[in-house]
Amino acid sequence: MTNPAPDSARLNAAVVAVAAKDRAAFQLLFDHFAPRVKGYLMRLGTSNAQAEDLAQDALLAVWRKAALFDPAKASASTWIFTIARNLRIDAIRRERRPELDPEDPALQPGSARAADESVDWGQAEDRLRVALATLPDEQSRIIELSFLSEKPHSMIARELGLPLGTVKSRIRLAMARLRLALGDST
Amino acid sequence: MSIHHHPGEELLLNYASGAANEAVSLLVATHLVACADCRATVARAEAAGGTLLAGIAPVAVSQRAYDSVLARLDEPAAAIVRSAKLTGDVPPPLRPYIGDSFDAVPWRHITGKLAHYPLVTRDGTRARLIRAAPGAGVATHSHRGEEWTLVLTGSFHDETGTYAAGDVQSTTPEVKHRPTADPGPVCINLAVTDAPLVFDGWLPKIVGKLFGF
Repeated sequence: MTNPAPDSARLNAAVVAVAAKDRAAFQLLFDHFAPRVKGYLMRLGTSNAQAEDLAQDALLAVWRKAALFDPAKASASTWIFTIARNLRIDAIRRERRPELDPEDPALQPGSARAADESVDWGQAEDRLRVALATLPDEQSRIIELSFLSEKPHSMIARELGLPLGTVKSRIRLAMARLRLALGDST
Repeated sequence: MSIHHHPGEELLLNYASGAANEAVSLLVATHLVACADCRATVARAEAAGGTLLAGIAPVAVSQRAYDSVLARLDEPAAAIVRSAKLTGDVPPPLRPYIGDSFDAVPWRHITGKLAHYPLVTRDGTRARLIRAAPGAGVATHSHRGEEWTLVLTGSFHDETGTYAAGDVQSTTPEVKHRPTADPGPVCINLAVTDAPLVFDGWLPKIVGKLFGF
């Protein structure tokens, strides 16, 4: 466990290898992501035992669904984040999670520009990390509360004693920074 | 389809982070079916979630946990089901709630031209379908909280503008309006409120209470 953490390109390649049932690649993903998924769930108030159970379920889902991973659409971290998020909603909040199948023919296509838009997620993750780290505190606090406390904007406003409009405009500014970081100038 | 009114980025963020409850998530996911721009915004917000996950303090997982996952890798897993074809006029996120056709919804009539069907209520937030024949509408009301209305078929207008399929109208407590369906196809909306509406007049007040608005 003293090896340096694998970079995002290596993690992305590992998910692709897992789709071909590569167990060594799975071990790499488990060692890297299971403790992080567990850490994420515990940040959200899940007990140690349940977080460990759900981290196992998340990594098992990685093994089973790896064929659905599309490195052109998301990084391994992002894809595994969405798996962990959905497992938590299902297992802990006991709610249904309305989701989209990105290949569903019912999805309306966007403009040509949006369809051409492809992000290099290997580099994008580094740029996003910098963008998130350099957001003004008042914006990064709200993004963090949304992801790591699962508080919707209305609850964040109440908790921070801010008008709803202020929270919304801070979210808009933060999202604009993310858009810039990902190289989309629109 | 060209969409002029999008959900606020705060709703897209709530959906991406998992902070949105089921009622709000249903509205966002159904809008995303029609809107590639908002799908791109959600993808960016989810990428921020991935970056936060990558940077989180890891908590050690036991060897036993790893062994038990390894032991399950060869278990037969349920096949991955993908939507292969277009079925009916109902957007995919709504199908688990009402099936493939708006005609099969057990509408509850409020008047001859206005009907609704409750879908899901979470943390005091209600999602319902509202079906209005041309010219019909919901009586003048204001709000105690926020209200989001996604147009699924037809169109409606109120004091703030016209809303067509795919559009989301967002109102805050201070907005008072009387949405009315336009001539043409029946207007079906997915409406989400996080507090009861405030109706003008005694009759709408009673009807509103009766139908849980």
